[in-house]
Amino acid sequence: MVRGVERPRGFLLAMLALVWCAIGTAAPGGAAEEQTIRVAGSTTVLPIVSKAADRFKVSHRGAAVSVNAGGSGVGVNDVGNGRAQIGMLSRELTREERGQFKNAGLKTHAVGRDAVACVVSSEVYSAGVKTLTREQIRDIYLGKIGNWKDVGGPDRRIVVIDKETHRGTRHVFMQYVFGDEQARAPGARLVTGSNNEEQTKVAQSDAAIGMLSVAWINPDVVGVGIREGGKVIQPTLESVRDGSFPISRNLNLVTAGEPRGIVKEFIDFILGPEGQKIVEESGYVAVR
Amino acid sequence: MSPSADPQANGPERNGRYFPGRGPAYWVCAGFACVALGAAGILLGYLVAESLPALRSQGWPFLLGKDWFVGENYGALPMIYGSVMATALALALALPFALGGAVFVAEFLPARARLIVKSIMELLAGVPGIVYGLLGMSFLAPWIKDAFGLIDGNSLLAAGALLGIMVLPTVMTLSEDALRSVPAEYRENALSLGLTQTEVVFSVAVPQALPGIAGAVFLGVGRAMGETIAVLLVIGGIDRIPSPWYDVFSPGQSIPSKLGREAAESLGYGLHWNALMGLGLVLLLMTMAVAFAGNLFLRRARP
Repeated sequence: MVRGVERPRGFLLAMLALVWCAIGTAAPGGAAEEQTIRVAGSTTVLPIVSKAADRFKVSHRGAAVSVNAGGSGVGVNDVGNGRAQIGMLSRELTREERGQFKNAGLKTHAVGRDAVACVVSSEVYSAGVKTLTREQIRDIYLGKIGNWKDVGGPDRRIVVIDKETHRGTRHVFMQYVFGDEQARAPGARLVTGSNNEEQTKVAQSDAAIGMLSVAWINPDVVGVGIREGGKVIQPTLESVRDGSFPISRNLNLVTAGEPRGIVKEFIDFILGPEGQKIVEESGYVAVR
Repeated sequence: MSPSADPQANGPERNGRYFPGRGPAYWVCAGFACVALGAAGILLGYLVAESLPALRSQGWPFLLGKDWFVGENYGALPMIYGSVMATALALALALPFALGGAVFVAEFLPARARLIVKSIMELLAGVPGIVYGLLGMSFLAPWIKDAFGLIDGNSLLAAGALLGIMVLPTVMTLSEDALRSVPAEYRENALSLGLTQTEVVFSVAVPQALPGIAGAVFLGVGRAMGETIAVLLVIGGIDRIPSPWYDVFSPGQSIPSKLGREAAESLGYGLHWNALMGLGLVLLLMTMAVAFAGNLFLRRARP
């Protein structure tokens, strides 16, 4: 009986202690905060930054870099609102974003170049769809062409994969295909988010078309050549380097104002020889 | 009877029920209760306040519009449809198994086997949504594609089936608890009156446990409506009502999956954010309506 009475009080004390600890650990510890770089945004830029972060931490003891995905739109939003110091951006800033975060004074730093390929399931590619024209891609995304046999492929309905509207890859791709980065795609059957998700869904299907950075192309997810005026341009790093591939873009880091302190050191590291080697290792073209 | 007419209004006993005095325990507990209530109130108030700009600029088309395009239109109907449809599919697929399983475990299994089944079910009920989501994306969606000859398996059906699998353990284990809480004397009396075992189960135990079973089902509905990541990975992500409307092999979008895909991009800013908060408000009202309907139903069901 006595124990039965004692226990609730002990429990209450334990609860209070727990709450106290939670509050204590949640409060930021001043000195450690300044050494942490928070990065968020594009999943296309992410491989560069996370690899760079690992090596940066070795040469800069005490520095911590936390890297989150989310997409280009999320990266800009987080930097604009002060939730992250560096945003990853696989496109340029839009006019709306510049207006929205006028006070933050957003600055972009190009760290690499990349191409967005129009990718198809390997089954479609090996069945004969090796190239597409801009008009064909447009009609597929509009839903006017619904079967692969209309573009020289097998008699199979097309699984059109679109991306979330704020994704950098989509902006660049739609800018090329429709001349409008915000274009609608009424023919879409699926919407994906990250490059991983897009890659998985295209690989799982045997009749899919999608948009993907060239660094994410693999044997199951093949980039088709773009046919333009009798010429075919393959989605390779070479055609990005010589500027012939029509859907290419800068990979940017974005900061609020000029970067300072550890943030500047980190960006300089990525722009330096070691960082630019990481850019090439990740499957993109270095800028320096 | 007015309070002043009652000579014992402030005393420990009122209407035959014992009320403890207002000691420290009273105030501490009242304080915690107020925090809990206040949190719910603030949440609702915040959602209403944040969604007002969108509701005002869109008007009724917010609820009835079929077109959602950031910067132009915000019509929530495809998402509302997707949530209702996926939840309804989940229930239709899960209830027969959950209720049949609960009756079997509670009424026919020996105590030891029952404990094993129960602990497995409770374990499954605690598995996080992302695990179900990844399994659904890797196995369920491709399987649905092959089984029904679709061009792609990510569909309302895939979301509904996955939700069904997710709520099944919860509904089953809670229904089973309700059945077990029917006193053994009821069954013994019924048996001694000459009822068969089937009659005992379906005329005595199940009707007595009905409020608890209904509660379990409504909890399942709540979980299904609110599930985000698992649905997001298999529903297809298209803001569109299929034609015909009952074509469950088409892709769709539920309210939580829409929020999951777009919230981070607009966090705290602009009409897009307001519209997303409006979606959250709609979802909250839908779950409140379900809970309310559940209460109403339970009050009727009780003798």
